[in-house]
Amino acid sequence: MFKKILVPVSGTEADAETVKLACRLAKKDKGQVWAVSVVTIKRALPLDAEIDSEIKKAEEILDKADTVAGEEDYEIETDVLQAREVGPAIVDEAVERGVSLILMGIAYKQRFGQFSLGNVVPYVLKNSPCPVILYQQ
Amino acid sequence: MPDIWNPKPGDRVFRPRRIKRFHLRRVLGVAAVFSAGYGNVGSSIYYALGIVALVAGGATPVALGVAGILFIFTALTYAEGTSAIPEAGGSASFARHAFGDTAGFIAGWALMLSYIVTISISAFTIPPYLGFFWEPFKSSAVVGTFTSIGIVFFLMVINVIGVKETSFLNIGATLIDILTQITLVIIGFITLFNPSLVFQRIIDNWPSTENLIFGIALATIAYTGIETMSQMAEETKKPERSVPRALIMMIVAVLVIFAGISLVSLSAMPVEELATEWSRDPVAGIAFYIPIDMIKVVLKPLIAVLAGTILLIATNAGLIGISRLAFSQGAHGLVPAAFSRVHHQFKTPYVSIIVFSLIAIVLLIPGFFESDVFSNMGALYAIGSLLAFMLAHAAIIGLRIKQPDLPRPFRLKGNIRIAGYDIPITAVIGLLAVIVIWVIILMLEPYSRWIGLGWMVLGLIIYGLMRLRKHRKSQEWQIKT
Repeated sequence: MFKKILVPVSGTEADAETVKLACRLAKKDKGQVWAVSVVTIKRALPLDAEIDSEIKKAEEILDKADTVAGEEDYEIETDVLQAREVGPAIVDEAVERGVSLILMGIAYKQRFGQFSLGNVVPYVLKNSPCPVILYQQ
Repeated sequence: MPDIWNPKPGDRVFRPRRIKRFHLRRVLGVAAVFSAGYGNVGSSIYYALGIVALVAGGATPVALGVAGILFIFTALTYAEGTSAIPEAGGSASFARHAFGDTAGFIAGWALMLSYIVTISISAFTIPPYLGFFWEPFKSSAVVGTFTSIGIVFFLMVINVIGVKETSFLNIGATLIDILTQITLVIIGFITLFNPSLVFQRIIDNWPSTENLIFGIALATIAYTGIETMSQMAEETKKPERSVPRALIMMIVAVLVIFAGISLVSLSAMPVEELATEWSRDPVAGIAFYIPIDMIKVVLKPLIAVLAGTILLIATNAGLIGISRLAFSQGAHGLVPAAFSRVHHQFKTPYVSIIVFSLIAIVLLIPGFFESDVFSNMGALYAIGSLLAFMLAHAAIIGLRIKQPDLPRPFRLKGNIRIAGYDIPITAVIGLLAVIVIWVIILMLEPYSRWIGLGWMVLGLIIYGLMRLRKHRKSQEWQIKT
């Protein structure tokens, strides 16, 4: 059903479970899974600025995702994206790759005493070209 | 779901070019690591003995013995390094962790030189062993060198196309190799060994001090296996424990076989003969002198085929090793990205395979004209590998100071306490000895001095240019005209 799955990872606790779920979903159809980590670049810097510390962090997050996939006995592809905002980067990647599902993990967050989804998830939900599954830890 | 997504002008995405890391599966155990390492060392026996005899004369067993002690120190250093930093890259990765990128680059670049020379030497020694089947392979320099070049070229093509390496052949050949070597040593000891004759030959053909030291340096040619084992750390199950174990197993195996073969060879033939007629195929020389005809009839062709196969595998292993090293260096931005370029169809790192094979072929060309090309290649090998060992020893000491709390499942014993840090004494002795030998080779051998140092300078220039380019400002905001 889902041949191409995009899993945005951000280093939260939900990442491992989301990647695991993506692998299990993809396994049935021998589909592909991409884990992407977005590095946000401040507008004061050029978009292609190489911020080693941030890229290293992103690589570490992707390494973890890779390890989780390895434990599930599945191979996934990983990528780093640089963008001004996370939401548009995820949607752009989904369009570029022509994915059939975006699987996002979210952590329970509160803002001003209210449950909040932040701004990335609503953006993706609003603009995604494909179905989106949210996984809350 | 929206039908069309309309990103804002600012919603641009930049996809940084990144070299994707290959995650090698951890599948190998102690036995597999040992057999891979031994496959490498076992092949070096087929030429190391002759190359050492060429310069050290009667003191060949002594040179091999002293080098053996150094070998133990170096292996122990690698054991601690690999257990603390279980990743591919060997000494290059120890140096990178201890002293930064530049040191990592120097170690890696030096290792590349020794890998290239390993390819040349192994290819160069295949034809003499095959001389059993057709004499000109051994007697004619032109035929021999031409065949060697052909072998490297053939392996280059095969590796670019990416024919799958049959591990069955590798493991099988290693097993038969160990058995044959042990059999040869045992038969040799029973039929040929004569302690007083060996002693007499050692005394009569004692070399000059210069040659003895040079011989010790050349004997380090047997060390290649250490690096191979360390390179495999990323594919090994529980590398922090199994690699040190495999290394210790190899120390014992190598010392026993080398001591045995060198003593048997000196009993079998006069040193002059070992250093001239049999210098490129000393093991065939031993088989030639075995007095029992029945064994000789079986052993001679067996050794010819076996040595040919093992050396072919060793040449190939060198080629695979260097492309793997170039790839891992490329992933850390330490060599130009072109070296890690993968062919779109064959999925092999074709640029590094072709470039390094061609360099190995260039190193073989003097074989057409010169007779001493063999010891020159040995010295060149020593220049590269000793530099890498130097950095490995230094890195282990450096890591003890810089990261004293780093978990070290295998920790060297025998430490001296300096300024509150535990410094392993074997690494210090190893470092000093390696520096002394390295400097002596540089002084004595003009060929390896200029080629070796030229190689290092070339590397540093490439590295400097790469760093310069990396630090250049981004051009995103420049108006394009």
